[in-house]
Parts: sequence; structure tokens; C-alpha cells
Amino acid sequence: MTLPAAERALPGPPLAAFLYTLRVCVPPKRAVLLALPCAGALLFGLLARTVDDPTSAGGFNAISRALFGLILPLACLVVGDAVLGAEVRSGTFGLTWLSPVRFSTIVVARWSAGWLIAAGALTPAMALSALIAGVPGAVGPIALATIGGTAAYLALFVLLGVAFRRAVWWSLAIVLLGERLLGAVLPGIAQFSPQWLATMVYAGLGPGADELEREGMPTGGAAVGRLVMLTVVFVLLAVWRMRRLRLTGGRE
Amino acid sequence: MHEADLSPDDPAFAEDATVVVSEATVWFGPNVALNEVSCSFGPGVTGLLGPNGAGKTTLMRAICGMLPLNVGTVRVGGLDPRTEREAQRALALVPEEDASPGTLSARQLVRYAAALHRVRDRAAPERALAAVDLVDVADRQVGGFSKGMLQRTKVAAALVSDPTILVLDEPLNGADPVQRVALIELFNRLGDEGRTVIVSSHVLHEVERLARRQIVLVHGRLAAAGDHRAIRGAIAGRPRQVLLRSSDPRRLAAALVGVEAVSGVGIDGDDVVVSSLRALDLAYALPGLARRAGVRLLEIRPLDDSLESAFRELVR
Repeated sequence: MTLPAAERALPGPPLAAFLYTLRVCVPPKRAVLLALPCAGALLFGLLARTVDDPTSAGGFNAISRALFGLILPLACLVVGDAVLGAEVRSGTFGLTWLSPVRFSTIVVARWSAGWLIAAGALTPAMALSALIAGVPGAVGPIALATIGGTAAYLALFVLLGVAFRRAVWWSLAIVLLGERLLGAVLPGIAQFSPQWLATMVYAGLGPGADELEREGMPTGGAAVGRLVMLTVVFVLLAVWRMRRLRLTGGRE
Repeated sequence: MHEADLSPDDPAFAEDATVVVSEATVWFGPNVALNEVSCSFGPGVTGLLGPNGAGKTTLMRAICGMLPLNVGTVRVGGLDPRTEREAQRALALVPEEDASPGTLSARQLVRYAAALHRVRDRAAPERALAAVDLVDVADRQVGGFSKGMLQRTKVAAALVSDPTILVLDEPLNGADPVQRVALIELFNRLGDEGRTVIVSSHVLHEVERLARRQIVLVHGRLAAAGDHRAIRGAIAGRPRQVLLRSSDPRRLAAALVGVEAVSGVGIDGDDVVVSSLRALDLAYALPGLARRAGVRLLEIRPLDDSLESAFRELVR
């Protein structure tokens, strides 16, 4: 039997901040926005079947570039902006900020809840995409790459949410101009790009996916390690940046 | 802080201060929102008065640590609320804007605030909701609340952590007359309990009912401070300007010159502009004066009767 809400024990601050993020930060409109890239992943799975390649894996490898370069960042942006940037802009973040809870606790709670939402929505869609493409062997690798990629992207977008008022534009600029355009020609940028590293996770572990490998970039487990490192750095930077946050309210 | 500012006779400074603001200056680009404001707040209710855009919200946000000062310091219980998170244990803010996630119920919102402050008493959220008379609607989403109900929800969320310093930004906005009376009683009770309660408003008579001590901000500057009678006296002591439109402005102006309540008369096109320290006496005298002068009054309009102009007068 469950207790009425009024009689339930109060959770500790980290759990409260985590649950708040799950409840509040992805309202129905955002959920619809999140569903779009997930549906896109399934469509790309269908598209892989039409690719002119002797093997199914080859066709799926071809469209995996779009899965990691477009679907992954867009889904993460929808969630990543919601868990912090949108709250800072609307003024509702003051409710959380005005508490004795440490900034690190707030950032980790927001990031982990956002990660859970993004990975929870996108990983099944990516895995299903592999199945639709007729490459069941790619399900595990693409799921791992998605989980790692969403972790790093969520941390990046949480950081941008506390760093910039126009976080969405900065996020799009970093993803499209920084990672997609510059990262494609400059390996130095790709080394720190969540989408390139997620691609490299899949390149190292996916069936026949070594054609996706880039020279000088870690693949497979090493790429997962790089994504973890990147995530930690982004989270630490977000904590540092939160100390300098100017909470001017939603109207200014 | 200037030594003069620390004088016990300076009405801007409270005895047993829990919040001390020194030379606080904040600017946003070219706009100076707060300009070298020094004052302090102690136990009891203090009104923060000023027209819209005077810097009240900026000062309140600075007190809560939400905004960094460009110059100056704020200390809450001796701590910097910007960098020392422990200061937030004693603080609570009720923001003016509708800064509440609409998808949460009032109860969830208050319980969230309680959890963040590590409130152990699981009955505390219900007490806070009861204090603002929201228990019956506590499971409704705040997104569907009226402004007054939303204000009360924010007050409940602020009260749940039992703060010793309560900062309320225009808390009576949107509240109906009955709710206003209840909230004013609540804030006064909190002040009587020894808490530092800072309440902002741009409505003079509202703040008078809330707080004996008032601090007036105008254009980001400290314009006046002290007992509410002194503030009202300072505002009432200024001359008021009244525009008169009539059938014969020159004849009306000539008739007004000898009137005791009039301190100045001018003609502006077809209008007569009268300055008076006793606007009420002037209002009583005008109909008879116009009749005797054989002038028909077409319009009587105060030119500067807004509170904003009254505040502006204080900083001249």
C-alpha cells in the first residue's frame, strides 16, 4: 500500500533534484520533440535496406553516420537544453538554486536525469533501427555507442545551459559547425567530439564497421573511455560555471 | 563601507542587522540597476519601496546571492550568499515573476523545496500549505493557478524551510483583498517572531500596512529610509502640479494668484498649470473661484500624481 503524498518521507537533496528533473524538465511538448529524432532513427533503419551495398551491415554502416551525426545530437539537445538551460532562461531554476544544495549535486542530478531520459528514449530507437536494417549484430554496439554519446552530449548541453543565455543556438553551432563541419576535416576537433567518439565506439565494435574508423582516433572500448572522460570534464566545467551564473529571472 | 554609514542614527541601518548591504552596485550593460546602495535589515518587517524599475528586484536578488555585485558586498548572517551555500539555509525568496514549473502540483513544489533544504519533519510541507490556505487545492498543478494562488504557493515553498530571513518581491500582486489581509497578517507574524522579513512593493499604502521601517529606492539609489511616517511626510511635503483647462485660461490664472493653497501658476497654451503644497485645499477652492471669475472649468487633471513622480521628488 502506498502512503498519500502528504505523508511520504522527504527524499534527500540529490534524489529530490533528480526526481524533479524527471518530472518537470521534459514536458509534453519536449517529449514530442524528443520523439521526432527517435522516429528518425527508425526511418534511417528502413533507409539502410535501400542502400546499394552487398551486405546489410554495409548499408547500416553507411546510415550510421547520420544516426550519430544528426539523430544523436538532436535528441540530446532537446533533453539537454530542457534539464537546465530552459529553466535558467524561464527563471524557474531559482527554486533549485536558492537552497543549500551544492552546485555539484545540482549539476550531477540534472545531468543524470537528463541522461536517463535521453538514453532511455534513444537507445531502444537506435537498437530497433539496427534490427530494421537487418543487422542484429549491431544492436549491442550501437546501444553502447548511444549510451556513451548521450552521456557526453548531455553533459555538454548542461554546460552550455549554464554558460550561455542563448544555449540552443550555441549548441546547434557547436554540433553543426564545430563537430559536423570542422570535425570532419580536423581530427583534433573530432578527438573531443561526442558524435565522432560515439561513431568510433560503433566502428570498433560493430559488425564490419571498421570502415568508419578514423586515423588517430580511439575506437571501441577506448572511445568509450574517452567519452567518459569528456563527460566528467563537461560536468566539472558546468559546476564551475554555475558559481558564476547570473540569475536575472525570466523577464530580463 | 563608509564610517558614516555605520552610524546608529542612520535610518538606513537596522539594529541587530542580519543582512548588510554595502555600496552595492549592479549594472547590466549600460544600465545601472543599483548604484552604491548601503543599508541593512534586521528582525521585523522592512518595506522596500520604489517605483517600477527602481532596483528593488535587483537588490533582492543580490541579497539572495542570485546576482553578483559589480561593486560592493552583501552579507547574510555574516556569509556571502553568492559563494557560501550555507547562507541559503537561512534565506528564502518569493520571486515576483511566475517562476514555478507549471506541471508540478503545489504540494510537489513545496515538498521539493523542503527536500532541498533537508527538512526532516515530513509534516512541514502541510503546515506551510496550511499557513497560506492552500491545503484543499494542493494537488492541483500550479500551471492552472490564478496569480494570487501562485503567489501563495511560492510563499508556502519559502516558509517550508523555516527561514530566518525571508525576502518577498511584490508578494501581494494578484492576491484578492481577503488574501491580502491574510498574507499581511502572516508576514507581520513572521516579523514578530524575530525573523528578518524584507517586502518590496511599489504601492505606498500597502507597504505602510506591512512594515514600520521602510527603505525607498529610486533609479537604483537609496532615496530615503526610516519610519513610514517620515517617508509619507517626505512625499506629502512636495508641491503637486495640477492642469486646468477652462474657457478663459488668462482670467483663471489671474484669479488663482491670490489663493493661499497655490504656490505657483503658469500658462501653457490653453492650459493653466498650478503648483500647490495643499492640493486638497485647492480642489475645494477651485469651483467657487471659477464661478466668481466667470470662467467655466473644462478639465482638472493632476500632472504628477503617480507614485513614481512622488518617489522622484525624494531624490531631488
